[in-house]
Amino acid sequence: MLQIMIKPMSFFLVFSLFLLDFSVQTAKAQMIGTNTVIAAQKQEANRERVTAFLGREDVQQAMVQRGVDAAEAQKRVASLSDSELTKISQAMEKLPAGGDGGLGAVVGAVVFIFLVLLITDLVGLTHVFPFVSHKR
Amino acid sequence: MLIGLLFLVLSLVLSGCGLLSTRPLLQTPGGPAKAMVDKVPFFAQEELQCGPAALAMALNWSGIDVQPSDLTPEVFTPDLKGSLQSALIGATRRHSRVAYAITGSEALLAEVSAGNPVIVLVNLGLSWYPKWHYAVVIGFDQEREEIILHSGLIANEHLSSRVFMNIWQRGEYWGLLVLPPDRLPARVGEGDWLEAVAGLERADQWQGAEAGYSAALKRWPKSFAAWMGLGNSRYSLHDLAGSAEAFRRATLLQPENGIPFNNLAHVLNIQGKRNEALVAAQRAVDLGGPLIDNFFQTLEEIKNK
Repeated sequence: MLQIMIKPMSFFLVFSLFLLDFSVQTAKAQMIGTNTVIAAQKQEANRERVTAFLGREDVQQAMVQRGVDAAEAQKRVASLSDSELTKISQAMEKLPAGGDGGLGAVVGAVVFIFLVLLITDLVGLTHVFPFVSHKR
Repeated sequence: MLIGLLFLVLSLVLSGCGLLSTRPLLQTPGGPAKAMVDKVPFFAQEELQCGPAALAMALNWSGIDVQPSDLTPEVFTPDLKGSLQSALIGATRRHSRVAYAITGSEALLAEVSAGNPVIVLVNLGLSWYPKWHYAVVIGFDQEREEIILHSGLIANEHLSSRVFMNIWQRGEYWGLLVLPPDRLPARVGEGDWLEAVAGLERADQWQGAEAGYSAALKRWPKSFAAWMGLGNSRYSLHDLAGSAEAFRRATLLQPENGIPFNNLAHVLNIQGKRNEALVAAQRAVDLGGPLIDNFFQTLEEIKNK
């Protein structure tokens, strides 16, 4: 039985080897396109904006009041994916501009984005968002 | 019964589609009370062909000689019986023109005042019974509260600005500028302009891209991305000396960024300046960053030559 099987089997295996794509995706030496440059710059600006926002004293106070370690949240900005940073940054753009006295809306957004979406994920209570990298 | 039905219909109309939420046409402080863009040719549209017609008007204004029927295969999607905004943007770039999107009436009036016609997407119907349409705004008159546009079969249509704002609102106040690459919009952000110009690169319109980056550098001489773009487009146009010069300027603006060193190394290598190329490539590798694999490949390639 085995003898009869072996020959067609080996043919089949050899054939299927041909189907495999052995070309490894290597980094190619190339000019870096302007699109890449612009995307990187945008991302950097988003990250800076979110970091600066979290660094504001009033925002930090609001976080402490809600029992969140502001330094930890600040650190975690680094673990956000590019698309998430963009989303947060865009949400911040839509906030009312006059920020000093009227903290309400701003903190509201912080609460929403960082406390509900992020912090629960960060402490490992939930795993709603794949963009949060967990501590093991 | 009949009255009840009428009432129901009326309440649906009034609540559903925002007929009552008219927003006034906003004027930039100090802007002119009326304006008119000259020399926007009119093409009467054929059935369902408002996209090609509107784009042809804008392209002809910008100096490209093209008929709506030439544009139909580029922008019209038969299945949708219409043209997508992204298709208009793509076709604009294929004709080496910068597609720059704007929103809102303040931007609209500012652009028209500066002599730039604006393609607008409007919904002539209701939100739940849409009739999408592209038209070209070529003028306005604040005193008479009118917007002047080339639309459908009518050239120089004078439309009440109240009606215009209603139908434009349902198009989410979307507008598109179709500009020669050396002509900046009246209101322009550096990042937005460079992104719009980089779109020309994707369409392989390197001459247009070069002009767009050059225009950006006249306005923002210290724009790193614009120098990078200029270097890349000159490289594609086989202007190696010019390309190397642009990348050098970029390295001076961001000496901690490996990308311009990487690209400079490529250009120097092709120019036969192997030693200088090695130095630049090594510098890129030393600076590192997310693209370090690419930098390393560049260095290896030059070493092995």
